[in-house]
Amino acid sequence: MKLDRNSVVYAAVFTFVVCVAFVVILAVANQLTLERVKANRLFEAHFAVVKAFGLADAATPRDQVESAYTSLIKEKVMDKVQAYTAEIDGQQYVGVRLTMPGLWGPITAVLAADPQGTVIRGFEIIDQQETPGLGGRIGEPWFTAQFRGKKVRPDGTIEVAQGSGKGNFDPENGTVDAVTGASRTSDFVKALVNRSLAFVREVGGSL
Amino acid sequence: MSAAAKVSPARKIMQDGLWTNNPIFVQVLGICSTLAVTNNLRNTLIMVLGVTFATAMGSLTLSLLKDLIPRKVRMIVQVLVLSFYVIIIDIVLRAYQPAISKQLGPYVGLIITNCILMGRAEAFAASNPPGLAFLDGIANGLGYGWVLMVIATVREFLGFGSLFGIRIMGDGFTPWTIMVMAPSAFFLVALALWIANVRKARVAAAAEKAAKGGKA
Repeated sequence: MKLDRNSVVYAAVFTFVVCVAFVVILAVANQLTLERVKANRLFEAHFAVVKAFGLADAATPRDQVESAYTSLIKEKVMDKVQAYTAEIDGQQYVGVRLTMPGLWGPITAVLAADPQGTVIRGFEIIDQQETPGLGGRIGEPWFTAQFRGKKVRPDGTIEVAQGSGKGNFDPENGTVDAVTGASRTSDFVKALVNRSLAFVREVGGSL
Repeated sequence: MSAAAKVSPARKIMQDGLWTNNPIFVQVLGICSTLAVTNNLRNTLIMVLGVTFATAMGSLTLSLLKDLIPRKVRMIVQVLVLSFYVIIIDIVLRAYQPAISKQLGPYVGLIITNCILMGRAEAFAASNPPGLAFLDGIANGLGYGWVLMVIATVREFLGFGSLFGIRIMGDGFTPWTIMVMAPSAFFLVALALWIANVRKARVAAAAEKAAKGGKA
């Protein structure tokens, strides 16, 4: 039987068959990698928490990150926020995981500090949808490293301000450099950090 | 240019993609991503690999199917096949290269909006054999790629003082903020287009002159 390629029936059947075929392949590929993707996500979240507590850096192997997470960090579910506590060198630290709005989508990050929220231990981004190359740079190590050991201002906040764009690593001034070309994203990060600090004090006070 | 008439189709396709019919210089396709990703060499390289893979595989598949695709729905099928490969890239990156997937964020999905994919599917793969269509995809991906890499080198170097994230300039270097922002890509793409077209015009003028001289 000769097919009439111009008939409506042929076009409809062809489109249907092709769509089903490609979508089935995609569904199978998605299903096959689902567990792996879930495991990656969970690991990323654990890695960020461990890094925020200063117990790992970018080069730490995966198994060491997981063992540090399970042995040193205690999860503490609070009303409004997921909190973590850890005792490091005899000193107690509190971490909170918070999701707040960004420029394009929610930003999820974890911030660790002393229970009084006076010195930041570390700050790591878990998830964000900011513009790659601009606001997306908040996830880069130089940006988050600025928060390490940073003394919080007397009013309990951190300032994110325009600076050299290379990073502000003075622990005393309570200020970090914003990302060049991403003032709005930097403002959202500032709000996130300051809210997280407030939660740290709340959780720290209940310890 | 009598030698041009004798070149094999494969060679002609490569020449076209890389220079004579370059997607950026001549077809002016894929400009959106040129503006977006080129402030960073690493993101640019991954984008280029993604576009090259999706264009080549998409063109190959569409060329294989070309005798079966009804004309009325050919664009729907083209979009379906091309987005299929883009989603495959996304799935593979999420599962096996989570760090890169995270870094690129929405850009992987945006490969589908790159006009080179549809442009080559419609202009070449729809009327050429699969082998050549695949090669055409590779050639256009690479032709797009080298121009982007040149622009990204300038932008990352002047904007951050680094290449592939490795610091080249010392602490005394003042980064050119404009190079990080989208407008600098407009200037650089325009400059690149200008230079490429001046060169082409010169070559064409020289060829014309030679042809006239030959006749006289």
